[in-house]
Order: sequence, then C-alpha cells, then structure tokens
Amino acid sequence: MATRQAEVPGEPTQAGTAILETATAAIQGFGPVNKIHQHLCAFHFYAHDMTRQVEAHHFCSHQNEEMRQCLIYDSPEADAKLIGLEYLVSERLFLTLPDDEKKLWHSHEYEVKSGVLFMPGVPGLIQRQDLDKVCKTYGKVFHFWQADRGDNLPLGVPQVMMALTRDGQLYEDLAQKVEKRYGISFEKERENRAQMTGPSLGVHPLANGGGKGLKTERREVDVQPLDSVPRVFV
Amino acid sequence: MASSDKPPTPYPVRGDDSTTPGKPMTMGQHVLDKGAEMMQSLKPVKQMSQHVCNFALYSHDPTRQIETHHYVHRLNQDFLQCAVYDSDDSHGRLIGVEYIVSDRIFEALPPEEQKLWHSHAYEIKAGLWINPRIPEMIARPELENLAKTYGKFWCTWQVDRGDRLPLGSPALMVSPQPVNLGHVKQELVTRRDDKYNISTEAIRLSRVEIGEPEWINPQADYWKNHGKGFAIDINTTEMKTRAPFP
Repeated sequence: MATRQAEVPGEPTQAGTAILETATAAIQGFGPVNKIHQHLCAFHFYAHDMTRQVEAHHFCSHQNEEMRQCLIYDSPEADAKLIGLEYLVSERLFLTLPDDEKKLWHSHEYEVKSGVLFMPGVPGLIQRQDLDKVCKTYGKVFHFWQADRGDNLPLGVPQVMMALTRDGQLYEDLAQKVEKRYGISFEKERENRAQMTGPSLGVHPLANGGGKGLKTERREVDVQPLDSVPRVFV
Repeated sequence: MASSDKPPTPYPVRGDDSTTPGKPMTMGQHVLDKGAEMMQSLKPVKQMSQHVCNFALYSHDPTRQIETHHYVHRLNQDFLQCAVYDSDDSHGRLIGVEYIVSDRIFEALPPEEQKLWHSHAYEIKAGLWINPRIPEMIARPELENLAKTYGKFWCTWQVDRGDRLPLGSPALMVSPQPVNLGHVKQELVTRRDDKYNISTEAIRLSRVEIGEPEWINPQADYWKNHGKGFAIDINTTEMKTRAPFP
C-alpha cells in the first residue's frame, strides 16, 4: 500500500519568524534533543489493521542502557512530519510491567532478524552490534498523524501501532521501495543476522496485543466545576 | 483495557526515585552510538529551532499540572510540530508531542476535531509560555503570532503521577486558562522562575500590550467551555489482517 504524500497546509515561513528562530537556535540549549544519536528505519502497522502499513523513521536516544525513546517521522528529510513516538525497553524491564500494560508493547525479534529494521548509512558490521541488542527489546508506539491515509494535518486520536512479527505480513512493494532507495537487500541482511537471538525467554505471549488487535477510542469525561478550586494569582 | 484517565495497575518498581529504571549506559554503547551518529544525517531532528518552556494540564483532570519543555520545528508559517520533554537537561524524558496551527488552519478543522485543541493566548499573555534565555524583545514579534494559534498535545508518559516508565494510554493535555481551575499552581511557577532566574509576573506585565485574538473558537478549550475533558481508552479488537498474526 503506497504512502500518499499530503502537503501540510500553510504559508511559507515569514522573515520575522525566521529571525526569532535563528536566535533561539543559536542561543538556547537543546539538551534532550541533542542526545538523539541514531536513525532507525522500520515499518509499523495499525494495531487494529495490518493492511495499513507505514514506513517509520525513528530518531532515538538512550535514557540508559535498557531504555530508549524515539521520535518517529514519515521520512528522513528536513520537511518530515513528526507522526509519532516509540519507547524501547530491555526484556528485563518489559517483564516488570503489569500484565495489562505488556499488551501495548510489541517484540522486535522478527523485524531485526528479517533485516527490515535497519540503520540507514551505517555499515552492516557496525549496525549489527546495536541491532543485536534491539532484537531482544520490546517497543511501545503511538502515531498521532495518519499521513498514510492522506491526512495533511494530525487529526483524530492517537493510534497504537504494531511491529511485524512474521513473513508474509509486509507488503512486497513497500519493502522493495525502501530497499531500492537505500541500495540494500533485506534478504541479504537476514542471512547476516542469522545468529542473532531474540528475548531470552522467547517473545512474551502477552506482547503484541496478546495476539489480538488494539483500538483507541475517545471518551468525554466530566471535569470538576471551574470554580471548585480557589483562585490563584497566575 | 487501558484508559488515560485511570491510574495504571501499580508498577512494582516504584518509590521516591524518579529516574527511569535500567542500567547505566556502557562505554561500549557510547562508542557504538558515536560511531553510528557520524554516519547518519539525522536531518528531521536538526530542524528543531526553538525551546519553549510552558505548563500543561490534563484535560480529564486540570488540577494535575506539569511543566513542559517543547522543542519546536516549524514546517511553515501556519504549522509547528513539537517534541515535548519533562525537563531541558539531557535526562529529559520524552513525554509527548504537540502540534500547533494558526487560527486560519484551526477554523477549517471539523468541529469534532476542534474539541481536541486548546488556545494559546492566555498562557502567552500570562507569561507562562517562555523561550528560556531569549530576551523578551526578540521573542515578542513571534509571540504576537503564536498568541493566535491553537495546539493539540498528547502526553504518553504521565511522570507527574510517578510512572517510571511510560504506562497506559495517551492523555489529552490542555492549556492554562483564565478560570480558577485553569490557573497554574504557584509552586510550579515559582520553581520554574527560580530555575531560570526570571519572574513570570514581570513577564506578564511586559506582555500586557500583546493583542488578544479577536475571537477564540469556543470548540477549543472544550473542558472550560463545555465542562468535558477527554480520555483515551485502548480496547482489544479483531485485527484486520493480510497474514497470520502474531
């Protein structure tokens, strides 16, 4: 299923706006963002609909050895749309999660071993050192912008996404488009990764939605009366 | 199964330590990261050009309030996308994403969609929204523009309730508003002021001349105008498939 590129509505950035942003870019600290050190390309599908698949460019930083947080864009270009985010945890941390939380997380073993999850621009030998770790992790992804259905703005509610778990799920043309663009072969990479292993206890049966789909719904809730708290002078 | 307005099943590794659980980075991982980083372009994240420090409230419970750090990427004059963290230091946790649109774009959204967005005029005029380390004079022209925008902010890691890992469902966040329930608690503002050595009150006074938007759409700030916030539930369902799963 091809991704349609929808243009974000809006006028080109004005000069005055650009002046502030030149100043802020030069003077301010960008602490957490400066820690982003890695670009991973992979595919996600909607947790209620495997037939909708999205190329997902992850830009990741480590919170520590066992936890990463990633911004997800629809492309690796300067005008990429920020469509979601993902958290990755080690198997050890995953096992500490409550059971009903585990369902919201997906395994990475298949994506890594099949070669479809990769680090653009990085030689195989180096990639594999890190991907060997990623292979054993679990991820939790939300997308906020359904650009794949043509939305030119982030509409609706967050979507839980899932990762590929076996052969036959990924659209051939989507795979080939990415292989061609980066000059790589997933099949070849799969051979190179044959020795990698997934989580030491195997993929947890509750992960990947516990084998079922997941759907988000919005619900209105009553908020307490506006003057039910005392006034503060802010 | 998971709802953004319900506390999650207690996560066993709790306590006063608010740091993310997990072993410290090994030297090997650092070396790996540095090496890879030199070979990759990381273009999208290099487009973030502003740091904004702000406050946000949970739409389903505005008494829960957080300090936020937005790293802003402007796509064009009418649209910005922000990665949101709970602090501006290198340990900052990624707690969500906010999108910001001009009033022109907002007015074209369907009414049901507009309910998920919040206005920015009050928080800018109140001095709550700041660009740390940037003189007011430089920020000012842009603040006049931003005062007319609307935002949509999903929070995926509820650190203020003690979650040491991102648990549960995304929560819809809203902006401070000029009603009792929408005012930011003094201790949060004071703590922020002390950190940056500023006075939000002084900033507020200096922004008195920033024009109020002629009109703020009443579909926005739905909690304030209609008494309803939003929660997101995640439910199990049949998956549409094209191959066996899992």
